[in-house]
Amino acid sequence: MATGLNRGHGMLRVCRRLCSPLQPAVTKQTRCAVPHITRCQREKSTVPKGYVPETSLSRPPWPELPPYDKETEEQKHQAVVEKVNGLLERREHGRLFAVVHFASRQWKVTSEDLIQIENHIEAECGDRIQLEKVLLVGGENFTLIGKPLLRHDLVRVEATVVEKTESWPMAHMVFWKRHRFQKKRTIVQPQTLLRINSIEVSPTLV
Amino acid sequence: MTARGTPSRFLQSVLQNGVGRYVCQLKRVSLIFSKNGQSSLGVREFIEDGVVDFAKKNPGTVVYVSPESCRIPKIVAEYLNGNVKTELITNKTSQQIAELVTKMANQSGLDIIRIRKPFHTDNPSIQGQWHPFTNRPPSTKPVGPQAK
Repeated sequence: MATGLNRGHGMLRVCRRLCSPLQPAVTKQTRCAVPHITRCQREKSTVPKGYVPETSLSRPPWPELPPYDKETEEQKHQAVVEKVNGLLERREHGRLFAVVHFASRQWKVTSEDLIQIENHIEAECGDRIQLEKVLLVGGENFTLIGKPLLRHDLVRVEATVVEKTESWPMAHMVFWKRHRFQKKRTIVQPQTLLRINSIEVSPTLV
Repeated sequence: MTARGTPSRFLQSVLQNGVGRYVCQLKRVSLIFSKNGQSSLGVREFIEDGVVDFAKKNPGTVVYVSPESCRIPKIVAEYLNGNVKTELITNKTSQQIAELVTKMANQSGLDIIRIRKPFHTDNPSIQGQWHPFTNRPPSTKPVGPQAK
């Protein structure tokens, strides 16, 4: 390999020596030509410095909105609030649903739903409890979204503890092949079944 | 060790329990024990201490106490949906038996098998199912990338 490399190096050197008498003429020509071309380009281009050509990615895909006007926005907001208040006062909201945070999960519930929780809670069977962390309430034509929670006097979600049971025996198996190692554990988890009784919204928003 | 092959059911309750009022699903409990067997010592203690309290607490269930000449004492629980569960209580203390009986009273008698989803609803969607045109302004033009 080393000899091959050396030989290659020698060949290169020979080539350069052969080319060297020709080189000065070529460089003279190019030296004249290259600055001329660049000067022409500079004179012609009137493009500003931070220019980005128009492509499909140069503007966001959504249409540009009109500038923010506080009065019109407030008027729109008031109109929406009045409409929803009217719906709530006339009791025309239909069936309500809510997103409730309970047992470190978020549940989308309507009345007469069943939800199952992977632990026991302190309430006895047949007790009626109130689910307090309500994130969202919606009717057929409107949705109230909490930031992050809705107030207690606005929404009331009630549930009944229907059943306190245990899960089926889940097998937890750990096995390493070729290592004579295995563990088997049977896990039975306490569970609670809740029935959602009612979702109520107070008749007026603020 | 997958759970796919095991029997399963969806979340349910017996006859919409809890929509109107809650009904305890345990119909009948019979404690079968021996009068002088060593293994039913705990049951005899439980009958002295806790049976009356349990029966007073759960007026909807009937409690039978039946002494028989048996080696293995057991609890037989019958539920309103017709299921019968038997638990052996050999050499168990009275406190363990009390816990077991209250657990049985809190259950609904449905099979304890894998439950596919932790929720059940009869009204899956209130505002209508989502599709790509929900909350979009109506237009007769074909849908494409939005104009400026």
